[in-house]
Amino acid sequence: MLRTDFIRIYKSVHTWTGILSGLALFIAFYAGALTVFKEPLARWVAPPAQEVPYVPLTDAAQLIVEALRADPAAAREFTIHLREAEHLPARMEWQIRPPGGDDHDESGIRHFVAGMDASGTVQVTETQPSRVAAFIDTLHRVVGLPVDNDPNRWVMGLIAALYTLALVSGVIVLLPSLVKDFFALRIGRNLKRMWLDAHNIVGIISLPFHLVMALTAVVFAYHDGFYGVQDALIHGGKWSSAFERQRPPPGAAPARDPATMLPPLELAARARALSPGFEPGMLQYQQITGPRPVVRVWGKDAAAVSPRARGGFAALDPYSGKLLGSDFLPGRQSTPNLVISSFFALHMAAFGGTLVHWLYFLLGLAGAWLFYSGNLLWIETRRRKAPRQGGEIPVQRRDTRLLAAGTVGVCLGCMSGISLTLVGGKWLYGHVGDLDAWHWGLYYSVFFASIAWALWRGAGRASVELPWIAAALTLALPLTTLLAWSLPSLGLWGHTSPATLGVDATALVGALALAWMARISARRRREAAADSVWAA
Amino acid sequence: MDTHKPPPIQRDWVAKSVAGTLLGFGLALSVSGLFVRLNPDMALSVKGQLAMWMLAPVWLGTLTGSYFFSSGLRAWLWLGGTNLLLAGALVVLSPASGG
Repeated sequence: MLRTDFIRIYKSVHTWTGILSGLALFIAFYAGALTVFKEPLARWVAPPAQEVPYVPLTDAAQLIVEALRADPAAAREFTIHLREAEHLPARMEWQIRPPGGDDHDESGIRHFVAGMDASGTVQVTETQPSRVAAFIDTLHRVVGLPVDNDPNRWVMGLIAALYTLALVSGVIVLLPSLVKDFFALRIGRNLKRMWLDAHNIVGIISLPFHLVMALTAVVFAYHDGFYGVQDALIHGGKWSSAFERQRPPPGAAPARDPATMLPPLELAARARALSPGFEPGMLQYQQITGPRPVVRVWGKDAAAVSPRARGGFAALDPYSGKLLGSDFLPGRQSTPNLVISSFFALHMAAFGGTLVHWLYFLLGLAGAWLFYSGNLLWIETRRRKAPRQGGEIPVQRRDTRLLAAGTVGVCLGCMSGISLTLVGGKWLYGHVGDLDAWHWGLYYSVFFASIAWALWRGAGRASVELPWIAAALTLALPLTTLLAWSLPSLGLWGHTSPATLGVDATALVGALALAWMARISARRRREAAADSVWAA
Repeated sequence: MDTHKPPPIQRDWVAKSVAGTLLGFGLALSVSGLFVRLNPDMALSVKGQLAMWMLAPVWLGTLTGSYFFSSGLRAWLWLGGTNLLLAGALVVLSPASGG
């Protein structure tokens, strides 16, 4: 039996870790829920391809040879896409990274695509693919900070550690009354009781999801440091030297002729033969003129665990087709590798296909709501009530007023900012020079303006006005698509693939949900007690 | 039968938090080290990754649990003692070369 002393101590732990991390976690979870559908978002915003026609897959081998002749730098790494989608501008694509950049930072990369005309002449074009989906992913990965680099990831890791503490302490606090209170959603006059019940139900039901998210996020933030410490203290330096040994010896590279590689369709067929449920999507060629040429045949397998968000791969020799490694091939991993992959897959919903994606989307939104409701409960607990016999309405505490305004401003500002920056990707395309900077600017101006608005107007008024703004900006996504269809002269576009229509439909439902929240917030303002921060 | 009321739990926020953070990390390192030593036949690439992944749960699990100690001093003594024990076991199991 837990002593009430412990409950009180863990309640303090839960309160303070939660309040410190809650708003950052809201951004991470809202942006993270959308990142589950990163590819549909990238497809929705991608302008219609017009520069280079898709080369038929049967001619892809010739395309590779010609493109490497035109730009030998591509031999370091390039991709052949087996499928066609709005955000994949051509059959062949490669990137040139700036030297010395952070692995996770995609801002300095230059993108090139190659196509072929009817006479077999290759055309190399530099493209600027929209990075708005990557930007939303960045917000998710570093809790709303602008760049995914080491210091920002360390901040995220600290937030994730606080989040772990808040989770476990919350469960400890709830344990003694769990049987009695679980699923007891007491709807009624006692609003705080109802919010607390709902907070507990959502927290307990999605506890496994949250434990996975918290612990994996800590690892994503600090893995470099963890490996470094373990290498020095446990592995005796063998860990880092194992990777150095893989580097090729200098000067001993045999001459390779890319024209003698197996054609992409043949390589894909060999990967498919390794695992029956594996559906290859793209071929990532690496160092094909070096001493260790390799092609990673990336794909997905809905019936297996994928080691990464974009799936898994079989590593083949592009010249002989020999299997070099199946450590990352879904369905063909050894048990220890499967365990490691499952950590990634459980965080990134890289298993189970579309149904799991939607489940994670909903769990992510529910998580965001969990942090929002936690802040509301903190505020409600510190409410100054008016005397029952009437009399003067007390002034609410300054910290609760600030946190109420901050919570509304940050949460709604994040939602509005993401919707606006997505819509901006279509309206500003071709009209501005640096679209990436605009995505950044649009998001943060709305985000900070919402916070300033909430602080200026007070939490009560802002809790009605900001949801209306967020609803309008989110409704702008499907409206933009409708406008593009009905007025082609605007120069906009609206794709018709199920994935991109899904984005429009989801945004429509989201806008309706936000409008509903604005309406019930307005009703609460009319009816609610005057002794509350929400009356301000 | 001991029926007297147990002494109140000391809050000791700083002492318990620091003990949980520092000694919890030490504990996590020792546990992962023992895992590596006790699985000599596993490939280093797999073993190293699994060892890295077990740091966070052990570390943060210990930190969260450290508020159950009845005082900050007890947290330091118990966690410190466990650290010494596990670190000792790790030294014993390590190769003679000391690597």
